[in-house]
Amino acid sequence: MKIINKNIPWHFLTLFILFSLCAGLWVATKKIDYTWRWNRVPQYFIYHDEELIPIPFDGVVASLSNLGDQTQIKVVSEQGEEKTFTVDSNAVEVSEGEDLFQGDYLGAVFEWRAGPLLKGLWVTLWISAVASIFGMIIGLVTGLCRVANNPTLRSLSITYIELIRGTPLLVQIFIFYFFLGTVLDISRIVAGISALAIFAGAYVAEIIRAGIQSIPKGQMEAARSLGMNVPQAMVYIILPQAFKRTLPPLAGQFISLIKDSSLVSIIAITDLTKSGREVITSTFATFEIWFVVAFLYLMLTSVLSQVIAWVERRLSVSD
Amino acid sequence: MSNNIILELKQITQAYDQQLVVKDLSLTLQNGEIGCLLGASGCGKTTVLRTIAGFEQLLEGEIFLNGKCVSRSGYLLPPAKRKIGMVFQDYALFPHLTIFDNVAFGLKGMEKALLIRRVNEALELVGLHSEHAKYPHEISGGQQQRVALARALAPKPHLLLMDEPFSNLDVTLRERLSMEVRDILKEYGTTALFVTHNQNEAFAVADRIGVMYNGEILQWDSAHNLYHRPVSPRIAEFVGEGSLIKGVVNDNNQVETGLGLLDGVMTATTPTETVVQLLIRPEDIIHDDNSPVKAEVIRRSFRGANILYTLLLGSGDKVQALVPSHCDHQPGEKIGIHPDVRHLVIFPVGVQRRK
Repeated sequence: MKIINKNIPWHFLTLFILFSLCAGLWVATKKIDYTWRWNRVPQYFIYHDEELIPIPFDGVVASLSNLGDQTQIKVVSEQGEEKTFTVDSNAVEVSEGEDLFQGDYLGAVFEWRAGPLLKGLWVTLWISAVASIFGMIIGLVTGLCRVANNPTLRSLSITYIELIRGTPLLVQIFIFYFFLGTVLDISRIVAGISALAIFAGAYVAEIIRAGIQSIPKGQMEAARSLGMNVPQAMVYIILPQAFKRTLPPLAGQFISLIKDSSLVSIIAITDLTKSGREVITSTFATFEIWFVVAFLYLMLTSVLSQVIAWVERRLSVSD
Repeated sequence: MSNNIILELKQITQAYDQQLVVKDLSLTLQNGEIGCLLGASGCGKTTVLRTIAGFEQLLEGEIFLNGKCVSRSGYLLPPAKRKIGMVFQDYALFPHLTIFDNVAFGLKGMEKALLIRRVNEALELVGLHSEHAKYPHEISGGQQQRVALARALAPKPHLLLMDEPFSNLDVTLRERLSMEVRDILKEYGTTALFVTHNQNEAFAVADRIGVMYNGEILQWDSAHNLYHRPVSPRIAEFVGEGSLIKGVVNDNNQVETGLGLLDGVMTATTPTETVVQLLIRPEDIIHDDNSPVKAEVIRRSFRGANILYTLLLGSGDKVQALVPSHCDHQPGEKIGIHPDVRHLVIFPVGVQRRK
């Protein structure tokens, strides 16, 4: 109990510093001529879309039947053709027996739709997920080649790793999009995902190599003396242990990947960053949108690190 | 009898970089025998073991397991196909598997009912059946050792190899376990070869012991013979306690030494007048205050029941004596001793004319 009491002043100090920083920012923005319009932001996440339902021919409203929230409108054309439409009850614009001309609105249906920020978030999410899966596969294969006895496999993997780690991701994305995209005729989305996956693969390979080499040599020898060949020993003994040890650095790598995926916006993939930029052009709420975009990235990454922390706890049973 | 030979090493030679670590080493192990390679660290004993297991290439020579050549220069049967079991110095248990799965690991592909029976049998043999659901880090070092043994024995290997199996245990546990391991191996009828630097372990467990020095086996023999009939002064000094003193063989097949004239069965026949080195074990020297032979205590080492004294003889030779610990003497004191040497272990040095 005493220990907690002793730390309380420090927690207050932390809160005070954070509060001062926020206050300072607020004062600074007050000094420039900027109007905060947070109210404009939510509609870019999700909005209530009104779809008006027109009558496709000249005709008469035969009947209205109220089904609670929705109303069914039966219309009959001059030629005797019957059609039924469903609209929201509070947006019915016609009454029974009314004559209508083609194109007149019977009513409207309201629907919630995802705005550009939510769509961008989804694109970022699935691009990162696909790139992570391929990055993991590439990294695992390269990592195994890196510790193989065959000199060719070793040299090839080292070349790949050095090449990727030695050049900026942005440049790699450009090369994938402009050069490989043109030569191999691949779409921007494939180019973007491959660039991310191959970039992550090089780092994952080094993590896997370190993980494998951190397992004592005796483990491999014990497995071999018990009737396993080298690949079997790798799969049943070395990799499960290496995976557990490399989970924290792998988590860091995949969190990086989510953040790095913002760079694919440069080749016109409408991810979260690109969506943010688009929303800014129509709202001029520059500050708000960038804060929101940052917050959304933070959400993704913290959810991922929570998931990995949970997996780590599950695996630590055998520690 | 030749089909009873499980392991045969024929003049194997082994090198790391440019240094020979094993030289022309040969040995054979009969079915059910427990062999031991005893030597100081760096003498190449672990290399021999790893070569038998198939982890190291052979430079020269051949290794036969159960009558089949498994290693020769340029050929290596993979360890997985040798039907050997191995217990490692650090046990190398698989930390991510339970005790049961560790022991079952070498039985992959076996029918499930048989596998469960075999694992339980192995765990009961080492007395750890109740711990089968635990992970290796949840049991003690001695238990880990026994799990490692059960894991190696479960597939019923032709040959069990153990690399310094007891060196990670504390002294009391080490003594108890080494005897237990011998009983388990004998019960299982397993042929085994282990390496150690600890003589007590070698004596307690092995039927045959090879003393290794500098990549060679100096003597491959039973514990009794190593102690009582060493073939060279180096083994005499390495195995057990004791010292070599100078002596001269006289006409009556007696040896004249600083302890007086010694009579007994000699291990080697030598012409008279030969200068020899004579092995004196601590138990050969009896403390006797009435004896005319006196020696000066130069070092004492208290061992509980006994005290091991290092004594300086009038001739300048040093001998050791094991004396019950109630006879307490300090360095510098002269005490009476008389030799009780039943058989004379002598190593001829050269012939010397008497003055």
